[in-house]
Amino acid sequence: MWRDNQVRDFHKDDPLDSLRSCSWQPGMAIATTTVVLLAVIAGTSLLNRVNAGSSHRVPSNVAWTPETIAQASSGKAFRGLLLAKRCEHCHGAEGFSPVGSTPNLAGLDKLAVWKQLEDFRDGKRSSPVMEPIAQSLSQRDLADVAAYYAELPVYADPQDNRVFPEPNAQASHSPIASRLVAFGEGSRGIPPCQACHGPVGYKPGAPSLATQNADYVLAQLDAFGDGSRANDINEPMRTIAALLSDSERQALATYYGAGLGLQPGGASDIAPKPLKLP
Amino acid sequence: MIVFTVLILCVIPATRYYQIDQPLMRWLRGPNRVDPAELHLSGEFVENNLGTEIDPDGSVTVRMIAQQYLFVPHCVLVPAGVPVHLRITSADAAHTFALIGTHYAVKALPGTITEAQLQFANPGEYTAACAEFCGAGHFEMRSELKVVPREQFQALDSVKRGGCVAR
Repeated sequence: MWRDNQVRDFHKDDPLDSLRSCSWQPGMAIATTTVVLLAVIAGTSLLNRVNAGSSHRVPSNVAWTPETIAQASSGKAFRGLLLAKRCEHCHGAEGFSPVGSTPNLAGLDKLAVWKQLEDFRDGKRSSPVMEPIAQSLSQRDLADVAAYYAELPVYADPQDNRVFPEPNAQASHSPIASRLVAFGEGSRGIPPCQACHGPVGYKPGAPSLATQNADYVLAQLDAFGDGSRANDINEPMRTIAALLSDSERQALATYYGAGLGLQPGGASDIAPKPLKLP
Repeated sequence: MIVFTVLILCVIPATRYYQIDQPLMRWLRGPNRVDPAELHLSGEFVENNLGTEIDPDGSVTVRMIAQQYLFVPHCVLVPAGVPVHLRITSADAAHTFALIGTHYAVKALPGTITEAQLQFANPGEYTAACAEFCGAGHFEMRSELKVVPREQFQALDSVKRGGCVAR
């Protein structure tokens, strides 16, 4: 009995009672604030999208965010193998192309192949052959093809009877190229090639040059140098190629074309010596 | 229950505002934040905005990207006797833009824009070196800064936007 009275008295003096009868509750105030905030955010993002169409030059639509890297490395190599039947005519059945001006794709990093295909698709890198091919592939196909070429071996396996191009170490071991690959040239601000193109270090999108064709390497250095190829993010290769002289470009192309990029360059590498592949 | 849910919905953006990539949130975070992976897509560090720019008050602004293992643009032209506002960011690791022979050394960090005000009394040529170990090519990471007389700079700038890379 006394308890009932107490409870009733408590309810009577409850300060929240007046609020409960009011239709404008604090929860609704917070909800309204949230709705207004969301509307403002949506509005500003829409404005931002409208303003995005300005006139600045974008070298490549690829940005190495974690999502992009995940998407580019998510390919299935077996599906890529089936798709890559179309590439065999120019890039070779084993990823080694019969023509020097066409790049070898065997063992190239997934991200590097994916980025070039993506740039061909967007017209950021121009090629009358590759642009229509890349445009005919879907987003998933690009990752699959890249995954396939990344898995191809670059040197002969004893249990395998395939034939690989033999590196020609003796003919092409020039001190200019060895020095540039191993140490770069600090006085001109040229970093060593092997810091990004391997085997010492890699950057996302920088291909390994270990088994690349000499003609292709030279053509790309020239294209970067005169700006006709301009799809490198934040222009590292355009800057470096512009700093290199013609003879240095030629020496580097011969160095990589001979398969010397498989091993890290070093002080002992300046002196000519026979190369032993793994 | 409804009040609680709405409260949680408000608390999530309020505590994680720095993870929301929207213009309003960018404004709330402050102006000097950039995404290091997306410098080339939009914002002030796009390709044709790099290099020297003349401000309305006569001073100049230099925008640079430091990356493994280059400063871009590789060579920068600035006028003598004028405040130079350097705005530098990094696309990957931490770098330092250190002008050899001066006391200027500016850090370039991924995700943020470092601002510094430099001034050069006399024309001359400086070498900038990276002074923060950033990887295998760190010791070759250098660039040039050329200080030219003010009149000469304005004449040059109409042709080329304060760049002096041999191309």
